[in-house]
Amino acid sequence: MIEILSVTGPASVQDLGRLDQYRFGVGTSGAMDDVALRAGNILLGNDENAAGLEIPMMPFKLRFDRDMAFALTGADVDAEIAGRVIPPWWRSHAGAGDILTIKAMARGARSYLAFSGGIDVPMVLGSRSTQFRGEFGGWHGRPLQPGDVLPCTASTATIGELGVEPAEVTLARPNADPDETLVRVVVAGEYDGFDAATQELFWSSSWKITPQSNRYGYRLQGPAVKPSMPIEKRSHGIVPGVIQIPPNGQPIIQMRDAQTSGGYPKIAAVIRADLWRVGQARLGRMLRFEQTAYADALAAEAEMSAYLDRLRANVGLVEETRTCR
Amino acid sequence: MPIELTDIARLAQILERSGVDTIEIEVSGQSLKLVVNTGPRMAASPTLAAPATDHSVIAKADVAGHFLAAHPWRDKPFVARGQRIEAGAIVGLVKIGVLYAPIVAPAAGTVDAVIAETGTMVGYGTPIVRIRPLS
Repeated sequence: MIEILSVTGPASVQDLGRLDQYRFGVGTSGAMDDVALRAGNILLGNDENAAGLEIPMMPFKLRFDRDMAFALTGADVDAEIAGRVIPPWWRSHAGAGDILTIKAMARGARSYLAFSGGIDVPMVLGSRSTQFRGEFGGWHGRPLQPGDVLPCTASTATIGELGVEPAEVTLARPNADPDETLVRVVVAGEYDGFDAATQELFWSSSWKITPQSNRYGYRLQGPAVKPSMPIEKRSHGIVPGVIQIPPNGQPIIQMRDAQTSGGYPKIAAVIRADLWRVGQARLGRMLRFEQTAYADALAAEAEMSAYLDRLRANVGLVEETRTCR
Repeated sequence: MPIELTDIARLAQILERSGVDTIEIEVSGQSLKLVVNTGPRMAASPTLAAPATDHSVIAKADVAGHFLAAHPWRDKPFVARGQRIEAGAIVGLVKIGVLYAPIVAPAAGTVDAVIAETGTMVGYGTPIVRIRPLS
């Protein structure tokens, strides 16, 4: 078991999401940076869908009540276990009573903690993710509070320390401006409702992530992007990644806790391979959209899968080498 | 049975561990010659030619890959000359594919020298950091 000692902001239990309930209007939830959660789980030999903690604000502190392996991935943070510094994207071992402290977040927006065996909360509608909107799943359907004691199915087997090259390093975009997150998108249903000059404005502008941004969606600030004629649509199905243009012309990117339907015109949608980059873009950071063809979106997804495949293969080989000795 | 990539990796590890630098095998029409590059180790050895009174301990790599003195997200290397470190402290990383295996200090002490150069290929037993133990 692990006990939450200190938490700032809405930290939550998340797995890869509740993917099969969309038709009933139940959103996906799930880790905002799914690549980081997968990487942590692979390092521990867990099912990649095992539940971990998503921590969006520091400081954060928890105590292990038994020996347990854990992995810290996602944002770049200053973290310590029992006084030892934990490097980024790292698997380590905690002893009973050890305290893990995450003090500051130097880059990125969300830190992930995976535990050997995963957090053992009940599956609700096929997932252990916290559904904030419906207040179910995860730990009693709510953000974590000090004093919460979360059950883990951890084995106490000791495994050695090991790190992973962060996804941001392996999957770095060429020529990306370090002060901006470049996000690949495909155009969406109502793109043609915007005239050429407005479309160009959408592509050429830097969009600031406003403080009204969270797991539900990111509200962006920049020049007003408005359709040539007002577009009024009935509510229809939308998915995480869809970029809507409300009447004020300021884009909204729907994220993991988004509603499953909406009526605003959709100008574009973030490709799946870049959703984690948006999830790691913090408040105040600038985003820029890059138009991408469907085939290139699939290629980007294959590149992301290849990173995880390599990680799986490399972990297997290193464990085998260590066992041989 | 054909020779698999994993067999080659395993053979390379065995070679490194046993200090043998070449092996040739033939299996059902296939032939394989493996030569282990002992360059870095030889280059490192003069640094290790220490006086008999030297009680230095050496932090060594325990897996083959590329040595990284610093994490790519950090400007500062894990350790620098003159730094006090505890036993078990991470003194560098070996990059294997997308993994980073830690190289740890076998004893507490003061860093005398970082022997390996970042980016170079290291193998099992390659000396990485020389430490003057606390006495």
